Amino acid sequence: MRKSFFFFIALVVFSNVVLCNTNGLYSFSEEEKLFKPIANIEIATAEGEISLSDLYDKSPIILVLVFTRCTGICSPLLSNVKENIRQQQTNEKYKVLVLSFDSSDSISGMLQLAKRYNLDEDKQWIFATTDRIEALNASVGFNPVWDSTSQQFDHEALVVGVNGNGYIVKKLNGLRASSDFRSLIKEINSEFVLSYPLPRKNMLFSCFTYDPATGKKKISVGMLVMLLPVVLTLLVVAGLATIKRKPNE
Amino acid sequence: MASLSLKKITAVWIYTILILFVLAILMGITMRFTQGKTISVSPIEFYLLMTTHGVTMIGIWAAAGIVAVNYLLARYIKVSTSLNVFALVFTVISILMLWASTFIGKFHAGWTFLYPLPFHIAWETWATPMFLWSLMVLSVSWFIWTLGSMVQILKKYSLRQSFAIQHISKKSPSVETPPLVLISMVSLLGMVVCFIAAIILLALLLAEYYSAGKFVNDPLLIKNLTFFFGHTIANEALYLGLATLYELLPEVSGRPKFKTTWYVALGWNCAIIFILGAFFHHLYMDFVQPKGFQIFGQIASYFATIPSVVVTIISIVTLLYNNKIKWSLVNLLFFIGLMGWIIGGIGAVIDATISNNIILHNTLWVPAHFHTYNVMGNVLFSLAFFVWVANEFSDNNDLQKYNKLVMPLLMVGGFGFVLMFYWAGAYSVPRRFAMYPSELSSGTALASAAAWFACIYLVGVLLVLFDVLKKCAKVFSSSSH
Ligand code: HEM
Repeated sequence: MRKSFFFFIALVVFSNVVLCNTNGLYSFSEEEKLFKPIANIEIATAEGEISLSDLYDKSPIILVLVFTRCTGICSPLLSNVKENIRQQQTNEKYKVLVLSFDSSDSISGMLQLAKRYNLDEDKQWIFATTDRIEALNASVGFNPVWDSTSQQFDHEALVVGVNGNGYIVKKLNGLRASSDFRSLIKEINSEFVLSYPLPRKNMLFSCFTYDPATGKKKISVGMLVMLLPVVLTLLVVAGLATIKRKPNE
Repeated sequence: MASLSLKKITAVWIYTILILFVLAILMGITMRFTQGKTISVSPIEFYLLMTTHGVTMIGIWAAAGIVAVNYLLARYIKVSTSLNVFALVFTVISILMLWASTFIGKFHAGWTFLYPLPFHIAWETWATPMFLWSLMVLSVSWFIWTLGSMVQILKKYSLRQSFAIQHISKKSPSVETPPLVLISMVSLLGMVVCFIAAIILLALLLAEYYSAGKFVNDPLLIKNLTFFFGHTIANEALYLGLATLYELLPEVSGRPKFKTTWYVALGWNCAIIFILGAFFHHLYMDFVQPKGFQIFGQIASYFATIPSVVVTIISIVTLLYNNKIKWSLVNLLFFIGLMGWIIGGIGAVIDATISNNIILHNTLWVPAHFHTYNVMGNVLFSLAFFVWVANEFSDNNDLQKYNKLVMPLLMVGGFGFVLMFYWAGAYSVPRRFAMYPSELSSGTALASAAAWFACIYLVGVLLVLFDVLKKCAKVFSSSSH
């Protein structure tokens, strides 16, 4: 009995350590590196070598990080970004930069990728490679890990919004809805975007609870605190009603 | 009737309020001249003046309302002088703490100290807790003050009678509730609610401050509580001013007293809920606020005005229409105050309509409407009471010769001052800008003009102040009860 108890504890501790490590690796935080400048690296495009600032000085950028050999999330991610961008009917100016984070990718491979998605003729889209991907990854908080067994990068699906001053103003992790792209485009164009801090563990009297799995919010204890002044006053008035009167005083 | 001790404490309150009023006007004029680039103060100084001016003004005119109804209630009930002394002592302590936090500690997060601004320390570290504690002292002591005043009323009238419910169901009930008692009760109840909201709000903010990050607040909850307190206290202060008007206007105009009728009773009882729900209109821009609250905010803002405004206008029209009125400074102040209150109220309803608020939000339209019903509304109601009570203290209704100038000065100065706010608001000039950029140059010119109008208003106030203070001094040499 005692042995199995210790075994159980050891298992819990071990699994926690492992899980924590993995969490550290993929910090899915969309806040990391937010409002920090992106590394101003040189990139190779169909038109030749340019620096990132040559792009964002002209118009804000939506940066999509992929690699051509990817058998995982890159394809769905590109399709998702393409579809969402197609749905946006806005006048805002911006470019979509699809940048390979695999140093073995060549510019011709990236242009083939563009062709596969029918984006090679679209002037809004730029497919590129770079020699300085580590600097860029570090500046946006992107940590792909090479897995030699599967010969693939283990990585998240990341889209980064960069404004006209070269600052990271929004990050989208995973395959996202059109409305998220709407606010991404607004944000990189310095338009006002509604935002609100999510409930946290140390926020005891939150007005809502939020379930990230379902995306649903529910009214919570904070709303009751709002009613407290009225409830307490009603109790006070009930107390006052018992006051002994001296009508003729 | 008011005892000598009540008269004395009322006189001390009047001294305190009028002196703080003049200082707060000077702060306002400094701000407006700064915006008009006539003088130059640093942005930090501008915002600490704005913070001090806002809290001080809201505080003194709420206090003036409670002081006035307490004095007049002595005609119907036994009023506790010691409660008024208690409130005065803690008010002075709280104001000293507040001014220390702003003038010495440089705290300048605005009178609404919107979360999380007080925690982004851009001033002395001690200034944030000092500011929050100053408001806590004020809220707790005024909670006791207002609750105590209600208890005094309930020693004579039952709960039902104090809210004049018997007037709704019967045409001539055996116990009559004077309008003063009804409106005081409605307003004091609202104040009790808002001070409880303030105590909860300040406790939450202080808890976050002292927990060093272990506890954080939800901005939505804090904003709701802030305006539950802030909006409500500013509005209830006005209703206390109206209570004074109902009691004194017929008397000084040589007309019979107002009686509580079924529509007066019904109107004021309905007003309780609507006044308490109207603060939701401050959160129209907060998209996380449940939609139901937003709609309720608009409806409550409309309905809050109907009972009190419609009922009051009907009552005043019946008082004045086709009757010979003995005009004096007191009833002129009440009458013009009523006009200012209505004009400001219309400005408020325009702003409280969601489709307009999208445009007017945080423009100078906001200070325009609340300054109208304060500077040309509630302040005039309270000044009317001060003049009336000072005459009573000195047994002297004579006005100084220069008092003929009071009304023209107050009207030209006051309406001119608020008109500049409206004008700038209609041009979308933002509020709370220490200096306007070149794109908003109309804001600069209007600010300068507003400051000169405010100087004219100040001269009118000073004339009233000298007369009132001189007459109030008589009460300290008097020994009769
Ligand atoms: C002639 C007298 C007055 C002058 C010259 C004056 C001037 C000002 C000015 C210049 C501002 C800043 C406006 C802005 O947002 O740019 C202001 C704000 C304010 N005033 Fe007045 N005011 C006067 C009377 C009053 C009265 C009687 C009250 C209340 C009973 C009042 C309450 C306030 C409040 C609550 C604010 C907002 C402060 C904030 O935003 O933190 N004022 N006033």
